[in-house]
Amino acid sequence: MKRKFTAALLAGTMVMGLMATGLSVSAEENRTFKILSMWAEDDNDSGSILKDVTEAYKQENPDFDYEIEVVSSDNLKQKIATLAASNDLPDVFAYDAGTPLIELIDAGLVVDVSEKLEALGVADQIDSGAAGFLTNLSLTEDLYALPLGQNIEGFWYNKALFEQAGIEAAPTTWDEMLEDAQKLLDAGIQPFAVGGADLWPATRILNAYVMRKGGVDFMDLAYAGEKKYTDEPLVEAAAMLQDMVDKGYFGVGATTVDMNTAANMVMNGEAAMIYNGSWYVSSLNSDANAAGEDGIGFFNIPEVEGGVGTITEYSMNCGTILALSSGKYDEITDGWLEYFVTHVGNYAMNEQGSFRGYTISEMPETVGTYTQLVSDELDKVTGSSAWFEAAMDSELSQIAQENVQTLMNGDMTPEEYAQSLQDIYDAAH
Amino acid sequence: MNKVLGNKKAVFWFIAPTAVLYSIFVILPVLWSVYYTFYNGMPGIKWEFCGIDNYLRIFKDKNFTKALIVNVKYILIVTTGQVCLGLCMALIFKFWLKRFANLIRTIVFFPVVLPTVAVAQLFAKIYEIQPHYGLLNSLLDAVGLENLVQPWIGQASTALGALSVMDIWTATGFYAIIFYGALLDISDDVIEAARIDGCKAFPLFRLVLAPLLRPMIITCLIFSFTGTVKMFESATALTGGGPGGATKSLSMYMYDTAFTYSKTGYGSVIALIIFLICVVGSAIIRKFEKPID
Repeated sequence: MKRKFTAALLAGTMVMGLMATGLSVSAEENRTFKILSMWAEDDNDSGSILKDVTEAYKQENPDFDYEIEVVSSDNLKQKIATLAASNDLPDVFAYDAGTPLIELIDAGLVVDVSEKLEALGVADQIDSGAAGFLTNLSLTEDLYALPLGQNIEGFWYNKALFEQAGIEAAPTTWDEMLEDAQKLLDAGIQPFAVGGADLWPATRILNAYVMRKGGVDFMDLAYAGEKKYTDEPLVEAAAMLQDMVDKGYFGVGATTVDMNTAANMVMNGEAAMIYNGSWYVSSLNSDANAAGEDGIGFFNIPEVEGGVGTITEYSMNCGTILALSSGKYDEITDGWLEYFVTHVGNYAMNEQGSFRGYTISEMPETVGTYTQLVSDELDKVTGSSAWFEAAMDSELSQIAQENVQTLMNGDMTPEEYAQSLQDIYDAAH
Repeated sequence: MNKVLGNKKAVFWFIAPTAVLYSIFVILPVLWSVYYTFYNGMPGIKWEFCGIDNYLRIFKDKNFTKALIVNVKYILIVTTGQVCLGLCMALIFKFWLKRFANLIRTIVFFPVVLPTVAVAQLFAKIYEIQPHYGLLNSLLDAVGLENLVQPWIGQASTALGALSVMDIWTATGFYAIIFYGALLDISDDVIEAARIDGCKAFPLFRLVLAPLLRPMIITCLIFSFTGTVKMFESATALTGGGPGGATKSLSMYMYDTAFTYSKTGYGSVIALIIFLICVVGSAIIRKFEKPID
């Protein structure tokens, strides 16, 4: 009996195998649409969006077969480079905006998204602010990527702790912010949390100061060679960060804290302020937020005395982007692209309360306080700067991040930090 | 046997399969890397011939020197720690441990089977300082040594030490078992004879056990050395090479240059240097091996 069963099973497997081979040969036009992502499919963030919107498209088009491969963010670039070398880029893949994407554009590996959207008649589905931001980053007129986020960044603060320290209003100048920090410290409260172990949260504070002191385009100009990393705004920013660490505003051992922990510290009332992006809203909206629905406030990066930046300029971020392989592009991609850009805006707003850089046609009747807060801030934007490393190549970017820990620990002077960036830049140009 | 090995054809057919596999998986990639070292950029995206520029770069690259120094320190600390502690453990197993011997040996061996990332998470918690003190800082705080409370993995002065402690802890059990096996091999008669001659504990070790364990010590040193030259996953998981490159090894720097900075050629040069360090280092350790007479 057992033997018969095994035989039947084996025969079955063989037949299935043959059928599968037959199918894959005959179904050339029904190829599997490949998506390379760096987010878990149920992360209630970008991963869910990619998965759920694509799945919804499949529901309407049963012929559409897709597969999502997830790699860790560390391996993404390497994976893409390997696939590019073997001419086998996936149809859609997550990637970093800025210099990394420019390399792919120059090599002709990614699709001109503007052109395709125009042809499909859905170009208006991308939010013009997000599109402008992306084209600024890629230094092109046309869009070569799909946005996956539209975030503003700034300082978030725990209102109860501010009250406890006797601070009445959120600061509008950097000096005020430092005074408030001192008040908090005197009241026994850690003024700032920062995810120094993850590096980028620390360089964002430098960026905040630099964009207020030297203007939103300072970092771009420095990479273009028109300014120097050793110019006053950056050296001053580095000195400022080091001084804030020395005074204990970030607590002890800030370079060992990861960003999740830091973000939780502010919600739990263990630290008063944190520099973070509006993606923070998904944590703030969740039940895990001990500060409650109105417990956390936001203020834009305060102005720096003698600086050129103004309070309506924001540090903005489009998140990791989605690029489309030019080698694989066909009608199947057309279909997915059209569906994706027309549905993702509403999906993200209704399911997650987040802005993703797409037109939203159906706003939910009630949005959470935090979502509303971000929406209000987005309306105020008159100018924007990207993040600290946006205009840097990957080596410079890594050195900038690595050395910021050394700077915070006081093992490097602000001048040395600035010089270390300039040295790497000079060696490459 | 002599007849078989005298036959050149037979020797050839014995060696051939392994030689082919070894060439495909070891020699070929090494040669491939050597070929890469003469190019700039990344295959597939930007790829151009650059002569020996990549080799010249090594000499003025401060980050390379820094990673090399970190790596050498790590090798010295961790190799010594792992082998010495392993040996001590084995001696304890053999001469002092009477009760619960099996249980204790199992516990000592236990960290070896834990995944590196899990161990790193564990130690990150032990060394934690913000938002809450971890085990180590809490202990120091509790016994009144508040001035010793510090961000162990967050400052350049202690990060490498903290990492080394973790790696020594992880691997000691492995070496303890190897040495214990070797100790069991030493005949009790020898030890008894030494004892009858009036040998105390330390001379017994120095004059009798150590020489007999010599081949095993050399083997373990080579194991530990080649393991520490590769220093990568534990540092990546615990400190990510930080703070500011204080725990960044050559392999990590190689990974960065080849895959993050898109400089495959320069990365290959660093890989070659790691390869050379392995070869030369192992050769030096083997110099201490006495010929069997």
